[in-house]
Amino acid sequence: MAKKTYDLLFKLLLIGDSGVGKTCVLFRFSDDAFNTTFISTIGIDFKIKTVELQGKKIKLQIWDTAGQERFHTITTSYYRGAMGIMLVYDITNGKSFENISKWLRNIDEHANEDVERMLLGNKCDMDDKRVVPKGKGEQIAREHGIRFFETSAKANINIEKAFLTLAEDILRKTPVKEPNSENVDISSGGGVTGWKSKCC
Amino acid sequence: MEEPPLREEEEEEDRDEGGPEGALGKSPSQLTAEDVYDISYMMGRELMALGSDPRVTQLQFKIVRILEMLEALVNEGSLEAEELRMERDSLRKEVQALRTGDPPASGEVNLGPDKMVVDLTDPNRPRFTLQELRDVLQERNKLKAQLLVVQEELQCYKSGLIPPREDPGGRREKGALVDRTSNASSNKEEKTIIKKLFFFRSGKQT
Repeated sequence: MAKKTYDLLFKLLLIGDSGVGKTCVLFRFSDDAFNTTFISTIGIDFKIKTVELQGKKIKLQIWDTAGQERFHTITTSYYRGAMGIMLVYDITNGKSFENISKWLRNIDEHANEDVERMLLGNKCDMDDKRVVPKGKGEQIAREHGIRFFETSAKANINIEKAFLTLAEDILRKTPVKEPNSENVDISSGGGVTGWKSKCC
Repeated sequence: MEEPPLREEEEEEDRDEGGPEGALGKSPSQLTAEDVYDISYMMGRELMALGSDPRVTQLQFKIVRILEMLEALVNEGSLEAEELRMERDSLRKEVQALRTGDPPASGEVNLGPDKMVVDLTDPNRPRFTLQELRDVLQERNKLKAQLLVVQEELQCYKSGLIPPREDPGGRREKGALVDRTSNASSNKEEKTIIKKLFFFRSGKQT
């Protein structure tokens, strides 16, 4: 118990082609579980996870988007409020890797300029079906000056590390605020806020 | 319209009768090349019976020429008839198809490049607009966020962090203080969570 307060709220966003495992990555992080059945995300969903970094309780509200083209007008409207964006591809799906540049363009177009970006090559447990070498992922990440991890939601590889690293990067450039100075409304589009509880 | 089958039947009958005479009794439009040959054979025999008079020979020459012309006309006519019959049959099929499968066929014709056909009998057909989906998702996510807040709040009450009649303004700090001290009383409080929530609400409103 006693996980009832938080000092900061970070809004993260997961994007990438349909079927690369965005929802599974999030599900592994939030619930430490994995499900093999593929259910396409309808539009936009989110999960909450509170982590502790540098002595601060940070509530992560992580938005999970549908990768399917037909939902793009809905999902792109959620880019604006994100402080961190995870761009996910599937190392066994070359097309999902080729589309990274398209997703990066989407970020440029719809997200805040100072948004923290991160590239994830998911499904790294399936090395026998790999078509995207790790080096290619590292290279494109380097070119765009963003962090890169190969992850596996199924085998629980680098998932927590990726989220915590992204949160740390955001925390690093977050101006230090007096905690408990503002109200938090996680349903609105605000940025970093302190927490003055209605409850705890 | 029913001529072709009839003609075929008659042809068969003619042959059964071994009919040069039958050929002459036919309607001109039903005449075939076979009939013309039958007639030629018959006339040749009759001319031969007339003997070798030079006038007969002259007549024979003209008759042969006329029969050749008739043969050419009959061949041409039957070819034309065959073509027309094929065209008629294909047109019939087309009419049939248009009558039975009319709606989708004409629908496709009217479609622009960015249009989609929706099967109105499909129970799983698209029905809702993007805006409707957007609204529903927004509401869902708002409610989910509220639920999480309520769940968190509930946890606080369950753990006894917040005394039931706590003043809402200073709850956090006091809650933290009473965290350890109120553990002993948390068991009995456990039973009246709902009650406490109502107390909290009424306290908030006053």
